[in-house]
Amino acid sequence: MVRTSNIFKSCFTGLFKHSSNKNYFLENNNFEVRKIEGRIIEAYIGEYASGKSENAINRAVELREQGRKVTLVDLDLVEPFYTLRPLKKQLEELGINVIAWETRETMGLGEAGSILKPEMKWVLRREYDIILDIGYGVEGAKTFNLIEGAADNKELKIFAVVNTSRPMTASVEDIVEYVERLGKVDGLINNTHLGDETDWDIIEEGAEIISEVSKELDIPVIYTAADEKLKDMGIATDKQGIPVKYIHRYMPHSFW
Amino acid sequence: MTEKPIQGEKRVFMTGNEVVAWAALAANAEIMYGYPITPQNEIMHYWTRLAPKHGRKFLQTEDEISAGFTTVGGVLAGRRSFTATAGPGNTLMQEALSMAEMMRIPIVQVVTQRGGPSTATVIYSQQEVTMTCFGGNGEGARIVYSTSTHQELYDYTIKAFNTAWKYRFPTHVLGDGYQSKMRESLTMYDPEARGIDMVPTEPYVGNEGTPGVDRDPNHLRNTYNTEDELYDVVTNLMSDWEKYAPEIAEYQEYDVEDADVLIIAHGVVTRAAQAAINELRAQGKKVGHFRPVTLRPIAEEQLRKRVEQAKSVLVVESAYGQLRKILDNALYGLTTPITNFFKPGEGVTADEVVEEVNKLL
Repeated sequence: MVRTSNIFKSCFTGLFKHSSNKNYFLENNNFEVRKIEGRIIEAYIGEYASGKSENAINRAVELREQGRKVTLVDLDLVEPFYTLRPLKKQLEELGINVIAWETRETMGLGEAGSILKPEMKWVLRREYDIILDIGYGVEGAKTFNLIEGAADNKELKIFAVVNTSRPMTASVEDIVEYVERLGKVDGLINNTHLGDETDWDIIEEGAEIISEVSKELDIPVIYTAADEKLKDMGIATDKQGIPVKYIHRYMPHSFW
Repeated sequence: MTEKPIQGEKRVFMTGNEVVAWAALAANAEIMYGYPITPQNEIMHYWTRLAPKHGRKFLQTEDEISAGFTTVGGVLAGRRSFTATAGPGNTLMQEALSMAEMMRIPIVQVVTQRGGPSTATVIYSQQEVTMTCFGGNGEGARIVYSTSTHQELYDYTIKAFNTAWKYRFPTHVLGDGYQSKMRESLTMYDPEARGIDMVPTEPYVGNEGTPGVDRDPNHLRNTYNTEDELYDVVTNLMSDWEKYAPEIAEYQEYDVEDADVLIIAHGVVTRAAQAAINELRAQGKKVGHFRPVTLRPIAEEQLRKRVEQAKSVLVVESAYGQLRKILDNALYGLTTPITNFFKPGEGVTADEVVEEVNKLL
């Protein structure tokens, strides 16, 4: 356990329980994993605290549960706080191959910048599915310049994660301006939420705004993300007709 | 002037550093001076993204010594100015803050505490209490608000500008690295829509008219020739400080009326203390919590009253006794036993507080 995450000790306990459910899956399927044609390479980018890591982790877990081999890469070189780094071990227990620093391996984290691991630079040469968690904003999007083969990789899909409860990306106009600055974007993800206060109205409000953005930029909305706590309501698509994907919130447990 | 950055009210989801930038914007802050340091950086990042859209300004200085003095300069020019820093940056800023104390310059400084001493960690602590309250070569004529939630970061950043300009003491919003990076929801509002008027600013220098003829001269000094002159200046400064301290001091109390054990904690640690008393009260245990909101000045009278009522006091902080020193000074003469739970540079959980309280029951 990461020393600095003491404050979230109780949350971690919950997470371990969650992990043990997945071990069941691993025990039974570990040797059935096979290469699936048409591999998936996706990168999650967007505004600070928009939910990039959360959606990247959920995607990796989802693919793993389908029996696919997945590599999840922490390419957040911008902000060393909320990254998937503290979750590395738990995700590895699920059978996901995680490329990320461990806090203790780093020196001067948050003070001297983050260093690219050699495996990160060459990650697109790997086989099977690859999910990239990219740092925030335009600086984060520049990370693609550091990855060998990213510029001309035809399999790579880049998704911009947007939470319209964040004031910098609250209006159609601001989001359009923001997404345009990020460079190549293949899809939008509506990750609108207000933490524990999230209700469907808030999510639908976001869906409406992002659907406008989608029309204006001619970029499809891939899905609307909703906390799995809302799953009981049985909503499969939002009012814009976009599929709803229920996600587990891992990130509140990952501080440093 | 461009339109108001926040119209009416809006429920939002943000990190603490962003909250500070938005609050400064809503408070009509005109300029931020700063130098990068973790965990403060996004205050600058967001201010520099927002400022051009709203006709505000930013100057990145060469270091925190300069950031402190340029903030003083901004105020002297009559601008609602602020700066933000942490740890070693706060250390470097003390000379300018000391000057602001001496000259009654209402600068606002936001501190996102990181580990100490020295460079330590970029993460979290409550180890900048002593420095923020009493740093520099002065008497501590400073106002320090210790926040615990994003809503408070918003409220007290706005309030800090008004307190500073009303009383003309340097004013500090004391956050920490956890609050800086945490994500939670809050309501942002236009202060005016809530009936909060921003105290008007005025220049200290360059006023119209001939000094001594049309108006009194602005006698701005931080240097004096004799002991007697300095004695008068500091005596007057501290007399004002003592006069205003009771109306500036703020505190919060939770279940204190019949508390046998009183937990004292400030800043983000109050969240652990509050969760702990909820749990302990549910078990029928008589435990209360006193939280100083201003660490300087401290709400002495109320604090003494509650400590005197209690059978035992537990002081909880993410430092090695920096809050305890302030408390000891305020509680001198009282005999209620005090136990320490010090975790310098580390977060405190509710479970830990419960465990410590149970040892005292």
